[in-house]
Amino acid sequence: MSTMSRRGFLQNSALVLGGLSLTSLVGCGGQASGGSEGSAPAAAAGAGAKLVEEGKLTCISNMYFPPFEFMDEKTGEAKGFDIELSNAIAEHMGLTANWTSESNQSFDSLVPTIKAGGKADIAIAGMTITEDRKQEVNLSNPYLDSNQSLVIKKGSGETLKTLDSDEKTIAVQAGTTGADWAKENFPKAASAGNIKGLDDIITAMEGVSTGNFNALVTDLPVASYQINENGFDGLEIEEEIPTGEQYGIAVSKDNPQLLDDINAALEAIKQDGTMAKLQKKWFGQEL
Amino acid sequence: MDARSRSVACTIVLALAFVCALPVQAWGLTTNKATAKPNEDGGSEVIGGLPTRLTWEGTVEEGEKVSSIHLEIPADGSFAESTTKVTALEGLSRAPVESEVSADKNTLTVSFGEPIGEGLLIRLEIYNMTLPSTGGDVVVSGTYQNQDGEQKLKDSDPPIKTIANTPLQSMVNWLDNQEWVKQWNANQFLGMFLKPQLILTSLSSLFPGWLLCLGIVIASYPFAILLGLVFALMKISRHRLVRAIAIIYINTLRGTPLFLQIYIMFFGLPMMNINIDNNVLGIIVMAINSSAYLAEIFRAGIESIPQGQYEAAASLGMGHLQTMVNIILPQTIRRVIPTVTSDFIMAFKDTSLLSSVGVMELMMFSKNLTSVTGNMTPYVTAAIFYLIVTLPLIKVVSTIEKRIAKSERGGGPRPKAKAKKAEVAVVDGQAVGAEPSLVEALSAPFKAGTSVMGGTASVR
Repeated sequence: MSTMSRRGFLQNSALVLGGLSLTSLVGCGGQASGGSEGSAPAAAAGAGAKLVEEGKLTCISNMYFPPFEFMDEKTGEAKGFDIELSNAIAEHMGLTANWTSESNQSFDSLVPTIKAGGKADIAIAGMTITEDRKQEVNLSNPYLDSNQSLVIKKGSGETLKTLDSDEKTIAVQAGTTGADWAKENFPKAASAGNIKGLDDIITAMEGVSTGNFNALVTDLPVASYQINENGFDGLEIEEEIPTGEQYGIAVSKDNPQLLDDINAALEAIKQDGTMAKLQKKWFGQEL
Repeated sequence: MDARSRSVACTIVLALAFVCALPVQAWGLTTNKATAKPNEDGGSEVIGGLPTRLTWEGTVEEGEKVSSIHLEIPADGSFAESTTKVTALEGLSRAPVESEVSADKNTLTVSFGEPIGEGLLIRLEIYNMTLPSTGGDVVVSGTYQNQDGEQKLKDSDPPIKTIANTPLQSMVNWLDNQEWVKQWNANQFLGMFLKPQLILTSLSSLFPGWLLCLGIVIASYPFAILLGLVFALMKISRHRLVRAIAIIYINTLRGTPLFLQIYIMFFGLPMMNINIDNNVLGIIVMAINSSAYLAEIFRAGIESIPQGQYEAAASLGMGHLQTMVNIILPQTIRRVIPTVTSDFIMAFKDTSLLSSVGVMELMMFSKNLTSVTGNMTPYVTAAIFYLIVTLPLIKVVSTIEKRIAKSERGGGPRPKAKAKKAEVAVVDGQAVGAEPSLVEALSAPFKAGTSVMGGTASVR
């Protein structure tokens, strides 16, 4: 028991440090792996998996990505497809998903935070599985298929062709596959420094609405949800870009057991119909 | 855009589409495009000879079955170390695909277990391949196998623009291979915050952002000072309405975050169909924001001038305006220099907030670089850039403050001070004719043991 409480103390201090995210990146990296020796299992399914907080699956995400993750405008509570999926996963592992006000980070800091460890167990953020990310962290089996989309202001007449110009600016969310796609497919705009990597996609959408940017590139489900359900009806999807990318959940490479548990839970969620139910709820159909 | 110009645009687009559609050739597998991921550290160019990711897309046409694809790039390029991700898509949905990939120097062959049927989009993402190191336009060509045998693939169009290796990139590559660099980066802290390769690339790619930061704050500050002075004078005005306007202006701007003001201006103005260049708008926002703080600084400065100065001026027969311009303001300037400099430092740092709305300043560049590299070094380099400006200014502020404190205490070399005192008294006495020059007022705090402040007492 005494070792348990000491570990708890270490982890609490890690959480405090987590507030200073820079510090946590370094300060907790070594400790997360060091403090886990011979630790007691948190739950039956979570045997061997190291957790930041006992009995909880601590999650991080970027909360400006509806319908995958967003904050309730009244309560500030985390909501969305990914949130409910994380709840289901945690349930299968005999844990509870831990979403707090500290769960919200900029998208580009998610992978480094998981890699450094100590602040969160998983990042679930509509994150595409890519080779680059796989070099930094482990990614779970795919849980959802996605594509990219090119969004413009209604009636602006911009197209894939017109946008590749050094006079056009294209907003993206920094660190996303959409950002990569834009840089690769609008080389002239990219050379002119006109691919703007913003912190979140809502700012990008506001910017396109007001004409600050000529277009934006983001994941298709997000674009259609924002335009059809969330009041950005001044925008339209100019191009659905088939990329066939797939979302995965990021887990530290130091935590292979947790990855296995999550993959098992994902499989179970698909089998028992929870996944289909969630997709229906958030996308109106099974994807 | 009015309806007519839109219809013209539509016609042009239609005409273009028609022209493009005319020379239709019967491709069984149409090459849609080939692109490469920019691999310039901190830039957006595709550099030949360095690992990049090639994406090739083609659509299987009606009645066709494709059993293998063979891609070819110019001889100097290489697929040797590459790994390939194969995706087949039906519309937007992934289709099951089995494939085997074999790479040989500059050719790559993807064979499908089950031939790919009509209407499917084939996407090949080839990681860790290199394009020819000489740079220039690269065309991806090749062949494919359909039910009738081997067919030629349409060359990719437009070609991929690549550049030869840059000196900077060569230096980075040189660093990559150094033993000490490897050991340095193996340390988690040093590798995450002070990676030598990234310091080098950040220094060059953050530089334009730093210039823009400086440009914005330097361009906005004169306006801020003027506006601030106007509102400071308005706030001490005798007319209640004028005072009220100044108080509302100053308190609203000081009482709300700059971040919010930026959002309101950047998103609000375009909604009213007022479109201003981002950089100019940045200057305007910074000028308005600083003006409120400066107004308070100036007001405090003006009010700190002893009542005796006004009385002395009045006794010399000066009017209100004359007193202000010749007696009060020159003394105020001296007193507010440290606080104004501090405010300038704040304003310079606050330009970072403009990154949130897409102004390409220092923070924006470092954020982009960090998001691409997943490393904190660009932020540390940005900190260096900020400090280059702020540290000397901080030093200036503390020097001036020391001098002023000393002279207000009546410190400094005694005998000299006596002589100066007389001089200054004369200067002040002459104020009706020749006011103390601005240069003198500004430079006074820097001069050793100056007793300009003491000088004011002699008028009293």
